[in-house]
Amino acid sequence: MKTDEELIKQFQSGNDDSFNELVKRHLPGTYGFFIKFTSDPIEAEDLAQDVFIKMYKALKKFRFQSKFKTYLYRANINMSNTYLKRSKWRNLLHLDQAPEPVHFDNTNEDQWRRDELWDAVSKLPSRQRIVVTMRIAEEKPYKEIAEVMGISENSAKVNYHHAVKTLKDQLEN
Amino acid sequence: MNIEKEFKNIVQSRVESIDEDNFINNLHLERKRRHAKKIGFINGVSAAAFLAIFGFASMNQLTDDFSVYASNDLQALEVMDEETEAYVYDIASYLVDSSDDIWETIMFFDEIQYEPIIAMNNRGIE
Repeated sequence: MKTDEELIKQFQSGNDDSFNELVKRHLPGTYGFFIKFTSDPIEAEDLAQDVFIKMYKALKKFRFQSKFKTYLYRANINMSNTYLKRSKWRNLLHLDQAPEPVHFDNTNEDQWRRDELWDAVSKLPSRQRIVVTMRIAEEKPYKEIAEVMGISENSAKVNYHHAVKTLKDQLEN
Repeated sequence: MNIEKEFKNIVQSRVESIDEDNFINNLHLERKRRHAKKIGFINGVSAAAFLAIFGFASMNQLTDDFSVYASNDLQALEVMDEETEAYVYDIASYLVDSSDDIWETIMFFDEIQYEPIIAMNNRGIE
């Protein structure tokens, strides 16, 4: 099996199939990330599409200074920040309602609880939201979170701590 | 309340599978659509810039002097060649000879700015 870097080199030589292979390899992770972030499959697919369209252009000039996985994850983070800003404007202008989470369980109480928690998460500052999503949903170590977000490991820990505290406060009230 | 555990349960239950081939097809369609849109935009801006520059240059060349745009088939006598000059004299003589109203003929020459006739008019017709 070819490595990401080998596929990128082939893509840079004009082989589009290598790009498709790369997309197939990283789509589940990227789509999964956005699903967790937006809780809307359609939005998640659109965001993943935007990321890979940008990748198509960016990989032509990729210089292999970082791992592709890190590069892609950083692109996901940037895209989720864009999404958050867009959502804020949409909500502010009342153009759209907050996305309805997709639920898989049947009990009303659980559903209500999930709505409440997701709503609280969506109100977190973007950096905290990203850290908490990466830490809990993706189970990433602080070191990797810091690397992807371009912040220090301690800053990642502090953001996570603040996020969890804010969530507890909001939900207990 | 264990927020971490609860949140983990929520986000992990949200992940759904996605049709990869369909996604890749849509991805390339959208990529090509955006590229075509971008090219269209660049062409539009280029055309608008060209029109603006061309229009500005054209407007700058315009002048308020109407004589630049006026045309007269008859050139001044001094720049006419001999043949044309003889022809114009013949026509003038013919018009003067055949005219019932000499003043109307002279006004006609005045309108077409035929200088020799005007000069004759100023001196008096012989």
